[in-house]
Amino acid sequence: MKLLLVEDEALLRHHLHTRLSEGGHIIEAVADARAALQHAADATFDLAIVDLGLPGLSGLELIRQWRAQGRVFPILVLTARGSWQDKVEGLAAGADDYMVKPFQFEEVEARLGALLRRASGFTQPTIVAGPLSLDLNRKQATLQGEALVLTAFEYRILEYLMRHHQQVVAKQRLMEQLYPDDGEHDPNVIEVLVGRIRRKLEVADGFKPIDTVRGLGYLFTERCR
Amino acid sequence: MIRSLRFRLMLAGALLAVLFMLGLLPALQGAFSLALRESVEERLATELTTLVSAARLQNGQLEMPVPMPDERFEVPAERSLSYVFDRQGALLWHSPGSPLPEYSPQYDGQGNRFSRFTARDGEAYWVYDVEVKLLGGQRAAFSFVAMQSVEPYQRTLGALRDRLYLGFGAALLTLLVLFWAGMTWSLRSLRRLSHELDEIEAGQREGLSEHHPSELLRLTRSLNRLLASEGEQRQRYRDSLGDLAHSLKTPLSVLQGIGETLAGRAAQGEEGKHASILRGQVARMSQQIDYQLQRANVRHGGLVRRQVQVRPVLDSLAASLRKVYPGKPVNLHIVLAPPGLLPIEEGALMELLGNLLENAWRLCLEDISVSLSVIGQRLELLLEDDGPGIAPEQRGRILQRGERLDRQHPGQGIGLAMAQDIIRSYQGTLAIEDSPLGGARFRISFAKV
Repeated sequence: MKLLLVEDEALLRHHLHTRLSEGGHIIEAVADARAALQHAADATFDLAIVDLGLPGLSGLELIRQWRAQGRVFPILVLTARGSWQDKVEGLAAGADDYMVKPFQFEEVEARLGALLRRASGFTQPTIVAGPLSLDLNRKQATLQGEALVLTAFEYRILEYLMRHHQQVVAKQRLMEQLYPDDGEHDPNVIEVLVGRIRRKLEVADGFKPIDTVRGLGYLFTERCR
Repeated sequence: MIRSLRFRLMLAGALLAVLFMLGLLPALQGAFSLALRESVEERLATELTTLVSAARLQNGQLEMPVPMPDERFEVPAERSLSYVFDRQGALLWHSPGSPLPEYSPQYDGQGNRFSRFTARDGEAYWVYDVEVKLLGGQRAAFSFVAMQSVEPYQRTLGALRDRLYLGFGAALLTLLVLFWAGMTWSLRSLRRLSHELDEIEAGQREGLSEHHPSELLRLTRSLNRLLASEGEQRQRYRDSLGDLAHSLKTPLSVLQGIGETLAGRAAQGEEGKHASILRGQVARMSQQIDYQLQRANVRHGGLVRRQVQVRPVLDSLAASLRKVYPGKPVNLHIVLAPPGLLPIEEGALMELLGNLLENAWRLCLEDISVSLSVIGQRLELLLEDDGPGIAPEQRGRILQRGERLDRQHPGQGIGLAMAQDIIRSYQGTLAIEDSPLGGARFRISFAKV
């Protein structure tokens, strides 16, 4: 998943960036609200983590502006004070959950996972589509009850497509799930990866859930729950 | 000790007026009595002049005309009694109806004398005694005496005293009523000041107005300065606490992260043990900071005693909790006795209810009930749920700082201790009981304002 991290403290930003990247997410990390507004305008994010105590434009104001602009991605708030006044203000401004500093990373991961599942309409940590199921916590796919061996990139693509099932997903959006930077990358990589996923899934009685929509992108046709 | 300023002033005014009148009364009475006595003397003298001019000396003997030239001497009356004595004191003549006098004049050549004489029967008289030498003969010297009972004089004096008392009483009453009215008018400004202070305490007003008498302006301006500086100080205090929290807890988050990384790399051995100590200490420091900062933040305010509507606070907390726990459908029943106010600052109430409600939200099956009722002079807030409840032996311990009975749930361990601190700082009480819903019931009670 592609996450936007807004934290002014460089060490904490670096730490969260590293740990979240290790968890298989693509992270854009910025130090203030102005940069965050700019990034959110330039790219699509699946979730944002916002520190409330930002210098200049506050985290609260940033959330309000995003919601006013119609941005619907879930927002996890980090707050130092942890008073109910702050939590209620943050949630009322448009945040979806809060974490009080200092936090355990496992808890951040759990909250992130819950928010991402909720955003894509799933309440359980497992997404099921026919014979295929995806354990979001363990990042493990299972086909007909047997573990499916996927590379990290393949898993990311499959998870993204399943989260956005029955929607056409542009190649560019899938590229953003793989590479954090805006650099030039060969778009054929996506075709190669999708081809490999298809072959691994077809093992189960010709299971073909991924369609190519010419000129637009890919469509996960199977209904996920 | 008389506490009312108005009563004190009234008492002082009434005392002053009574003392003034008590001093004035004898002086007035004395002056009137003197004037009355002089008028009696004057009348008796006039009568005697008439009598002397009517008297004739015939062969050395006194002769009084019959009838007398002035009918006053013919009518038996109590008002004036007239007598003529010779120089030896023998009665020669008396006006008709006059009883025989016990008075005997002393002819001593001294002339006129006005005096008071008391008869044996106790009756008192004014006596005017004139020594007259008719035609200059030594042998023709007489004492002409006019007498009048003192009783009418005393009656007049008594009537005057009665009128004086009545008049002074009425004057005192009028004076007190006027004094009361004047004081009400003067003290109205103090009442207005007290009313404005009530409004400040209730949080409806920021400072005192400028419409006060000049004698009070210095006081009201000083109070306004004090209020403003207290408000600024509180705001600065809150801002500093916020900054302090941010500047302490962000590095702690970094340390926590480093601890986790170290623990991940060296799960076994000495390094793993150090990493675990580091994480434990960070968690402890963080909890202490949370507790002390929040405690300082929700301390009881100075002059301003706000009353807060409980309903909006509960609604915003419930909206937040529904967002944070989306997978848990909770029925929140709220029954608040009108006007639904609690005498506590909004931030403190939000902290108090937030901590208790989140606990209930996490632990309940599906029902939470919050009710506010007025019991005599106290306001009672009940917060209960249908969760597992709290065993009686754990109730005392659970309110201690940092205690957590539900370590399997995420959250901070200072919530209940914070709630208890807030309740204490507003002179309230907290009790944990069994709820009829099946879970725990928190009974919070505050004195009514």
